[in-house]
Amino acid sequence: MIALVSFAASAALAVVGALLAASVRNLLHAALLLGVSLFGTAGLYLFLGQPWLACVQVVVYIGGILVLILFATLFSSDITGSGQRAPRALWFAALGTALTTALAAWRLVRGGVEALAARRGGEPVVPPAVGSTDAIGDLLLGAWFAPFFLAGVLLTVALVAAVAIVQRHRRPEVEAEHA
Amino acid sequence: MPEFGPDAPTGYLLVAALLFATGVFAAISRRNAIGVLIGIELMLNAAALQFAAYGRFAKSAADPQGQTAAVFVIVVAAAEAAVALALLFAVYRRTRDIDLEQNRELRS
Repeated sequence: MIALVSFAASAALAVVGALLAASVRNLLHAALLLGVSLFGTAGLYLFLGQPWLACVQVVVYIGGILVLILFATLFSSDITGSGQRAPRALWFAALGTALTTALAAWRLVRGGVEALAARRGGEPVVPPAVGSTDAIGDLLLGAWFAPFFLAGVLLTVALVAAVAIVQRHRRPEVEAEHA
Repeated sequence: MPEFGPDAPTGYLLVAALLFATGVFAAISRRNAIGVLIGIELMLNAAALQFAAYGRFAKSAADPQGQTAAVFVIVVAAAEAAVALALLFAVYRRTRDIDLEQNRELRS
């Protein structure tokens, strides 16, 4: 019972946070609500028996990406401002696209649930959730070594590119000061 | 097996579908580039949740491939956010504005 209630709370946190993040006018609030949604997802990872993934979610997503977005929000000028909302026609187009996407995704979910049931061979018992950090390490340095390596390269390239992009427009007098 | 709840896949997949649709809505309806970025993050988060849920409810729950794929999604999200925000700063520095409707810098 407690598990069910806290599961429902995590799911509600994830969905409601996302809905508000997509609709509130103030961008700073939107970024913070994105954090609420990410926290809800981390809770769902705990219920999936994946505590390591939940930790990564909090450390990388909330601690890294969200803080980056918050910084960017605070540095750019007009966050509460007049024109945060799209023109009405675009707003309705977005709503229609989102509803269509939700319907299509729901069809996929139904199919996925049936496929999962078929793969378990009609077994009614779901395997218990187990923490498997050791197994993740083995996988990353074993069968998945190439993607792991490429992810490292991707992050390095992204960071260097980010620095290069920001530096390119440095004003000359600032550059002279640093030289 | 209950249809919804912590031990059934439906709830997780439903949440992921809703998160993805919300992300699509935010990415289309926001005018500010940071708002669009928030929508994209929501979509990536939904994708990671899907990976994790399918991994958990596959034949063997001890198989960590779903979780590992979810971590790769998070890594890509981090790289994307860093480059996107760097681009935004570069544009903002030139134009003092990151409104996608009015910004001519990003068009032509």
